[in-house]
Amino acid sequence: MSRQQGSPAEEARYRALQDLDPRGDNLVEVLIAGLHDESWRVRHAAAEGLQRLSTPSSEQVATRLVRVLGERGETGARNAAAEALAGLGLAALGPLVKLLGHVDPDQRKFAADILGQLRRPEAEAPLVEALGDADLNVRVSVSESLGRVGGEHAARALERLLGDSEPLLRLSALEGLANLKRPPPLPVVEALLEDARLRRSAFRVLGLLPEVAATVRLCGGLTSELRSMREAALAALGTQATRVTAEQRGEQDAVIRDTLRRLPDARERLARALESEDVAVRAGALVGVAALGDASLAVPVAEVAREDRLLRDVLSTLGRLGLEGGRALLAAMADLSVPARAAAVEALVDLVDPSSVTPLCALLEWAEDDLRGVVVRALGRTRSPEAASPLVDLLRDSVTAGAATRALGVLAGSCRAAVVATLQEAVERRATPAAVAVLARVGGRPALPLLRRLARDVDPRWRAAAVDVAGEVDGGVGKELARAALADEAAPVRAAGVRAMGRLGGSDAGALLRPALQDEDVFVRRVAVEAVGESGASDRAADLEALVLHPDGALATAAVRALSRLGLVEPRMLREASEHPDPEVVKAVLSAVSGEGLALAVSLLEHSHWDVRAAAARVLGESGGAECLGAVRRALEAETDVLPRQAMADAVARLSRR
Amino acid sequence: MARFDDSRPEMSAEEFRLLRDHVYSHCGILVHEDMKFVMERRLWPRLEVLGAPDFSAYHRYLRYDANRHVELEAAVESLTTHETYFFREPSQLKAFREELLPILEKRNARTRRLRLWSAGCSSGEEAYTLAMLLKDERRFDDWDVEVYGTDISRRVLAMARRAEYGPSALRATSADLLERFFLPTGHAKVRVRDEVRAMVSFGHHNLLDEAGSQLVAKMDAVFCRNVMIYFDQAARRKVLRILRDRLVPGGYLLLGHSENLLNLGADFELVHLRGDLVYRRPELPGLLGSEPR
Repeated sequence: MSRQQGSPAEEARYRALQDLDPRGDNLVEVLIAGLHDESWRVRHAAAEGLQRLSTPSSEQVATRLVRVLGERGETGARNAAAEALAGLGLAALGPLVKLLGHVDPDQRKFAADILGQLRRPEAEAPLVEALGDADLNVRVSVSESLGRVGGEHAARALERLLGDSEPLLRLSALEGLANLKRPPPLPVVEALLEDARLRRSAFRVLGLLPEVAATVRLCGGLTSELRSMREAALAALGTQATRVTAEQRGEQDAVIRDTLRRLPDARERLARALESEDVAVRAGALVGVAALGDASLAVPVAEVAREDRLLRDVLSTLGRLGLEGGRALLAAMADLSVPARAAAVEALVDLVDPSSVTPLCALLEWAEDDLRGVVVRALGRTRSPEAASPLVDLLRDSVTAGAATRALGVLAGSCRAAVVATLQEAVERRATPAAVAVLARVGGRPALPLLRRLARDVDPRWRAAAVDVAGEVDGGVGKELARAALADEAAPVRAAGVRAMGRLGGSDAGALLRPALQDEDVFVRRVAVEAVGESGASDRAADLEALVLHPDGALATAAVRALSRLGLVEPRMLREASEHPDPEVVKAVLSAVSGEGLALAVSLLEHSHWDVRAAAARVLGESGGAECLGAVRRALEAETDVLPRQAMADAVARLSRR
Repeated sequence: MARFDDSRPEMSAEEFRLLRDHVYSHCGILVHEDMKFVMERRLWPRLEVLGAPDFSAYHRYLRYDANRHVELEAAVESLTTHETYFFREPSQLKAFREELLPILEKRNARTRRLRLWSAGCSSGEEAYTLAMLLKDERRFDDWDVEVYGTDISRRVLAMARRAEYGPSALRATSADLLERFFLPTGHAKVRVRDEVRAMVSFGHHNLLDEAGSQLVAKMDAVFCRNVMIYFDQAARRKVLRILRDRLVPGGYLLLGHSENLLNLGADFELVHLRGDLVYRRPELPGLLGSEPR
């Protein structure tokens, strides 16, 4: 039954290779011998071992491996050697380029194949030269490898091959250009469409051309008798949709719609394509459905969301299916897979009307927590007074309270009276403190007496809720309640008082917030630091400075930010804080620097964290002068990480203009 | 805490990277570069729950808040889709049933004990499927059999224990199997019968957690299907090492059909079955019997 049985002896040989002492003698030859083992596992372990050998000897290892490639009759060893060479990287380049000149075409082909796997830009020129090889098989391998290696010369060389008399070469060149996403001009591709052997690849390349004429040719493929051809055309339409502008997309849709409407079984074909194994075909099918606007396909469209990568396309396609599509989704919600349901619910936010309240509420009964948040959002957009009561009920659940708060705000835009009445009733029966905030925001000044009463409630949750929101309705009342809350025995109420005081500010804010900066509860202290910055209480600067070196990164970050808001950052303080072990504190420092702090930003271009280096570059780009240009350029040259590189390149561009 | 407007913050490239790295360092799950949109969509509800104004604030919450560990789990749960259904990949299950189970029966004839692990079991469909296969075989009726399902998401484990499923989970389940192994509960849902549930236990486990894996008994076979897709190469190697360690010598590892161990070392040997390819932990040199569990 098992054709490849392992044995204790094989396992012993495998372990022996894995446990080899890297300083041992004759290591290369032992591993080369391993490449010739009868067991693929042992050969694989040997190939891995050769890749791990130290860099100075890598080129010698590559040369030795190239010799193994020449051992005819040793298929396993040759393949293992090829695997090892591909893993050696740059060190293998020289010996492989040399092998391209070998007298044996079999060896030259091996060299071309492995160079393609290396994907090194240095291989481009020698491979282009090798396109002149006398042997067709070698030329085809070279062409395939150029499609992996890429580069301007490679693309031009591949384009020239499109006119070759050998169909295999034309095919490999076309595939290579598709891989490199470098399409030749439309007339060239159109000519290739005439050749049935090249048509599928030509469709791939057509998809890279954001031109309506290309769409027309691709739609021709949709009517093909051959399923493979139809799918190739569909996949290419999916690719094209990602490369066109919004205006071109409209034109693309119109052409696709015209074609599909002429096909009697268009709906069935699209439904089948939406279930294709090939992700590209599914993406193309979404483009087709969006163009056709057939709401009966909403459910299979949602199921495409099982492929994470297509989520964006699924959502935009569902959005194109309108209210009718929304109703189809709601009716089928229980039958959808989990990812499809998530996408459907997300789409429903834009596809609901008053008739959706009941099915959305039914969905709330069983949907997963994260989906319920989106269902809640959709309820807020139904414009129906009937949605008020279930939304207020949802304020009781901490998972949905945030979404329900926002949804009630949206709903109040169309039926305010119903929302206020439902909220008042909920607060009177002490349903949930979260209702207090919404009521205050939606109800306005008439809610003030209720807020005063709640601020004296026995339950600290109600006191905190009232204090938190009163200032939004009336500043005077808010301050009065906040002041009392600062002396409350419950930490959440003190925190609410601190927050409110921070928002309301005033000349006495600093003095009132002082005790909170030393509060026994660290959360209250953190809130107090932020409140000092928000209120503009510059008399508390010394308290904040004492916190910028605090080992709690959150507290230190808040202190730096607060000082920055107060406009009271000292260069000495920034320097000290920039050595904080937490990169978030250092980034807060960078967002606070100006003028003489720029030298600090320059030094932080070499920070060990990529995000700090990126932040430093952004600061210099925004506030630095021409004198910073040299330092940023040097940092850019040394930078290997893509995000800080981008920030540094932007900074260089901006500084160069100053 | 909650904001009142209806706008949703966009995720910058930098916020994406910070959050991605944070999640990766926690559990080895790698969110690929082209998945920023997906990450943004999946984490929006978390921002809403916490009242975080943007993704930077959310990142700071994950770094500093007292509840950061709980929230990190919630974030991971949001990022990993739990798409699964009963009797998924039937050809592999057929190969397991017809070719591997007889081998395991022979190997374990003395102990009459069988342990299967559904690693990354999501909401339990795979673990219950394995239990149903064993139940159907009858040959293990008087054996000590256990199917163990683990997942990093506590939420899906709760669903697994509840064992109630809707039509989507049953799309590959025949009417006959439905009749034998499920009970209708109304609302187009069914519940796995108690005799199957009794064969399956569930536990919370991060596949990268070496110490935590010690709690997993030695297994005769591990199903780890469509889980590796979430890991990068380094994390995959580590997971495979841990899985190998939890298998008895000669035990089997079954991956999803789109997965393989190419470029991941060869700690396992490839076994060609008639209907499938599976991996096997090699026997210890000179020791062909089972090692003590």
